[in-house]
Amino acid sequence: MAAPERDDLTGRYTTGHEWDGIKELSTPIPGWWVGVFLISIAVALLYMVLYPSFASTERYYEGALKYSSAEELRREVVAARAAQAPMRNALVETPLEEIEADDSLRRFATTGGQAAFNENCAACHGVGAGGQIGQFPALVDDDWIWGGKIADIRQTILYGIRSAHPDTRQSLMPVFGQILTPEQISQTAAYVKSLSDPTAAGSRASMPGAPLYAANCASCHGAEGQGGRDFGAPRLNDAIWLYGSSQEAIERQITNPRMGVMPAFGERLDESTVRMIAVYVHTLGGGEK
Amino acid sequence: MTAGSGITNASVTTTDAATADRPARAAPAARRPRRKPHLPQPVHGHFRRLKTRLTVIFLGILFLVPWIRWDRGPGLPDQAVLFDLPGRRLFAFGLELWPQDLPIAVGLMVAGAFGLFYATSLSGRVWCGFSCPQTVWTDIFGGVRRLAHRIAKGNEAAIGPLTGAMSAAVAILTGLGFAQWFIDAPGLAGRFLDGSLPGAVYGAVFLIALFTYVLGAHARERVCLHMCPWPRFQAALLDRDSLVVTYRRTRGEPRARKRVALRPELLATPPAGPVTGMPQAFAFAADGTVGLARGATVTAAPLSRGDCIDCGRCVQVCPTGIDIRDGLQMGCIGCGLCIDACDEVMTKIDRPTGLIRFDAEEADPAPMAPPARIGFFRPKAMIFGGAMVVALAAVSFGVANITDVQVDVEPQNTPRYVLLSDGSVRNDYTVRLSHRLPRLDGVTASVEGMPDATLRFTSGDGADAAEMAVGGQRSAANRLLVIQPPLRGDALPPAGPHPIVLVFHDTSTGAELARVDTRFWEPER
Ligand code: SF4
Ligand code: SF4
Repeated sequence: MAAPERDDLTGRYTTGHEWDGIKELSTPIPGWWVGVFLISIAVALLYMVLYPSFASTERYYEGALKYSSAEELRREVVAARAAQAPMRNALVETPLEEIEADDSLRRFATTGGQAAFNENCAACHGVGAGGQIGQFPALVDDDWIWGGKIADIRQTILYGIRSAHPDTRQSLMPVFGQILTPEQISQTAAYVKSLSDPTAAGSRASMPGAPLYAANCASCHGAEGQGGRDFGAPRLNDAIWLYGSSQEAIERQITNPRMGVMPAFGERLDESTVRMIAVYVHTLGGGEK
Repeated sequence: MTAGSGITNASVTTTDAATADRPARAAPAARRPRRKPHLPQPVHGHFRRLKTRLTVIFLGILFLVPWIRWDRGPGLPDQAVLFDLPGRRLFAFGLELWPQDLPIAVGLMVAGAFGLFYATSLSGRVWCGFSCPQTVWTDIFGGVRRLAHRIAKGNEAAIGPLTGAMSAAVAILTGLGFAQWFIDAPGLAGRFLDGSLPGAVYGAVFLIALFTYVLGAHARERVCLHMCPWPRFQAALLDRDSLVVTYRRTRGEPRARKRVALRPELLATPPAGPVTGMPQAFAFAADGTVGLARGATVTAAPLSRGDCIDCGRCVQVCPTGIDIRDGLQMGCIGCGLCIDACDEVMTKIDRPTGLIRFDAEEADPAPMAPPARIGFFRPKAMIFGGAMVVALAAVSFGVANITDVQVDVEPQNTPRYVLLSDGSVRNDYTVRLSHRLPRLDGVTASVEGMPDATLRFTSGDGADAAEMAVGGQRSAANRLLVIQPPLRGDALPPAGPHPIVLVFHDTSTGAELARVDTRFWEPER
């Protein structure tokens, strides 16, 4: 190695490299830079000691501070719950019919209810509660099979429809395919369809399906097709058809009825959440007094 | 191994000859001398006066504007200009701006940016030299330091603490000055002292004070030289016609002491009136100087000098500590103080002023040529100026068209329509209303384009509500249900969206507040 050479102008050593007569100075890295570098290393080491850093296949080093983001989330959830406690208590203690008259309670319930609805109910009833024709009833309209008062809604959420819960709402439509002939079924369907058509009001009584309806259906669905909420018989004289409004769809439903099942959410959700959802659904536009 | 790198990998047992006879560290001579703080000397003159006046104006704006009152009626602040952060609004005299008026603020910023570009293309870094807060406060802290020296009267030990205390006071006043734009100004100082302000205010005042102190009193010109990004691209805005602070080499060189005889061609030029060469935009050039013929070359006769007597005043007064005689450089903030300094010197030695002056690179190089005029009619300047005017016009248009009531209607998409049991069709909308009227209690809605439709707001308890209660609130949101009665046969509209107009009225006066175009979704049937 060549002896180190000093640059006359700066007094610095050169690296000994030379290009086109220009010699490269060996300028040391600035002290502050080295300092920051070393401090960064120290901070990184400290971090590794304090926080989870090393993992093996089975365990990981938990860090001196025993920090865990899952634990932090759990704490935050507990704290958020605690912060909500007064409102939730008020929600449970206020009579159902009075909740919506209280602005702050209503806002709390509809906001939380929307979140809980989207988490628990939207899978079937859709985000926004629009339902699905042929599958799940819409909850935004004014047609309620089991009643649209807030107490009715709460009960439906709590115990479900045809669920395993002992207090569930229960109803059963007979399989008329084993009782009536296909022709009778088709006549009945035509009559049922006419129930919601005001232009058919005059001719309806003389239809061949009229006596069939009176004998087989009126006991549940009512003489005018007005439905029976006590036993979950849907209205037939309105424009809303859960399983379709065509002649074929109605025939299909008479022959071999479909009946939806809704789980009892009282087993999964606490009373305050159930009430939140009930309030939310009730305020969607079709809620009954 | 790299010699002199300061890192050696020679083993302990072997003595590397090269390492042995070299000092462990670079010799002290190799280190740069520690930078002495640059403290510019005071100067008197045209630009100094201009700077002082502008500083007084800016401080006046900062401290006095928030004290102007403006009666807005009960319940609203009576401060003419107030940034109401909790209320998320800005009061500016008769205007009340909301977050949704952001485009106006953006327009102002665009106009400001182009204004800055425009000024720069006309006359270099005048913003930096005269209006930048960093410059203004550096200048103030310079004054504070000189005042401290005067008060301490040579008592060296007292100067430091005195400067520090006075600077801290200036910094805290600055913080308060900013805070009063956000909080009722007249009561601010009192509430600040008795501790009744929210903690965030103390935090903000302290932060601003800290930044003012650190940047203005300590970092000073280093901000302009090393931290500020502006000098790094201002060069792109300049051209050869921009008026910038220029040392006139052809007249000043070669420098020498006054004893040395003047260059003959300079001698031949009779000293004329002052040649200020400042941008006309300020106050404007006297071009009485008789110049040499354009293109005349300066051939310095040995043992003769130019007008610069190398006194160094221009460097001593420069806030950034640069030598303008080296030519236009990044560090020059265009403050013109060196012009004042040199003009003083020229006056003393009986030479015409204007050896340093605002001038264009394109200017006549003749030693006694008059300064270039400011070039308003160049493409670059006109584009920047034009863009500024366009932005200002857009802002004025925006301000003129601010509506007092803003209604946003958002159709619900889940579901798009609701079929009701009697066969009617309902569409649901979320209505968000914000208003800056003195009073608005309720709003009713009607629809155009659907003759028999009924409308109702859901009040939440399931009851029909014909109107939306606003109460004293400045904004309200509610759901609006538009219900189309059952239609049959020919009257059935095709499925899909149909344009409708929702019209909103003030319940109490019946005045129309807003019309909103939206759509009504018809079902598949
Ligand atoms: S060189 Fe002159 S104009 Fe430029 S910053 Fe210094 S004093 Fe101001
Ligand atoms: S102040 Fe004027 S005369 Fe003195 S050194 Fe600067 S340019 Fe030369």
